[in-house]
Amino acid sequence: MTDQTAPGSLRVASPVDDADRRILAELGAGRLGALEDLYDRYRAMAFAIALRITADSTLAEDVVQDAFLGVWRHADRYVEGRGSVKTWLLSIVHHRAIDAVRRRRPAVELPDPEVPPPPQLVASDVWPEVAGRLDAVEVRAALATLSDVQREAIELAYFGGLSQTEIAERTATPLGTVKSRMRLGLLAMRRALVGEGPDPMSEGVES
Amino acid sequence: MNQTHDDVLDLAAGFVLGALAPDEEAAVRDHLATCAEPHPEIEEFGGVVPYLADALDPVEPPASLRDRILHAAAMERPAEGSAQVELSAAPTRGRAPAPTPPAIPFPTAEERAARAAARPSRLGTWAMGIAAVLSIAVLGAWNLQLQARLSDVEGTLAAATAYQQGVARVLEVAAEDGAQTALLVPADPSTSAVGLAATGADGTVVISMRELAPTTGTQVYEAWVIVGDAGPVPLGHFTVGASGTGVFSGTTALAGPGAILALTLEPGPGATIPTQPVLTIGTLAAST
Repeated sequence: MTDQTAPGSLRVASPVDDADRRILAELGAGRLGALEDLYDRYRAMAFAIALRITADSTLAEDVVQDAFLGVWRHADRYVEGRGSVKTWLLSIVHHRAIDAVRRRRPAVELPDPEVPPPPQLVASDVWPEVAGRLDAVEVRAALATLSDVQREAIELAYFGGLSQTEIAERTATPLGTVKSRMRLGLLAMRRALVGEGPDPMSEGVES
Repeated sequence: MNQTHDDVLDLAAGFVLGALAPDEEAAVRDHLATCAEPHPEIEEFGGVVPYLADALDPVEPPASLRDRILHAAAMERPAEGSAQVELSAAPTRGRAPAPTPPAIPFPTAEERAARAAARPSRLGTWAMGIAAVLSIAVLGAWNLQLQARLSDVEGTLAAATAYQQGVARVLEVAAEDGAQTALLVPADPSTSAVGLAATGADGTVVISMRELAPTTGTQVYEAWVIVGDAGPVPLGHFTVGASGTGVFSGTTALAGPGAILALTLEPGPGATIPTQPVLTIGTLAAST
């Protein structure tokens, strides 16, 4: 790890990201071997996300194919400093899987395919210094610090593709409570992941 | 902070989780695009979300997915590469030397061979194996079986006949000295189209396909040839009616053993690079 940068800097390289960036540059140059490398690196994570969201292995395969081909076509759209290549790729997988699930549920208004990808795709890695060494165990431990209802609200949104309103209906909970659970759940997860003390947003939000 | 800014604070968690109503999400995007104030809540929450996926256990996809993706990718090129492709608008007859391979994103023959050896896809191996040993006799027998099967089905007689006629033309070309044949098989899950192709020593190309989706509007099926390290070169296009049968005749100087033939469904004629996924694909091999 070479990332000894001043706190707050968002441009901290980890070895993993450097390898990813090299792959992206080669993708941009059209080297098919780079796509293979990227696929080998993330196929199991990508498929896990797609399968969890779609609960349909055929659909999940299509989603993963769409996502990797999207990266192949648009490697130039990756914005350095706005998250790792892994985050970018898996966000595309997530987005397409949610689209696929919503398409299966005709009642839901479909997002315009030309609308930019979902927000987490362009979210910065706010703690790049921890990003490279978090593993599934730590993330699960962080998730475990959430209350059951907080975790449920977040998972129904992230893995279920449900809107806040739909979650409120499904869980027979007031909309304001759902919003609050999501917010508090994300805050708790962030604290657990970063090991941070004061909540920077604890003031002014409710005013 | 103005009211809108406070609204964004309130919507931040739902926004980063993609759980807002479309109008709310659009409002947040509009605000972020125009508001100069920092939005730490969006970044703080947004940074958490990608880790949700890390809690999942990895799941290996089927091995065939890899070949599907690489096959499809091989027929496309990133936008930046477009200008590098040289295409002959009017393919010349005869076996002129192939043009210098442009720098395009297609694996080298060695890379492809290595990949094929290392990870034979069920489909790819099947197609190549069959094409390699395909003889005129086999083609003829397959053709008869197809005829019998198609003719059994009410309403498909016209399609079968049209396809038969196309196959007959393929067979005529395939019977020539120095001819190549290919079995075109689906490369994309959206299609079940199959067909036969033959190229003659004089550069004639005939492709006969069945079970293609009918073209609508300006849509055309574009035929492509890929040789060695060069990018896909358009052969020409054809349309398909309700029968699902398509027959294409053209010429190329590029087809030879190992050349790949592929079809895409393009929004209009004149594509110089594939803009759509490859539907069917096959590799040419000597027919006798």
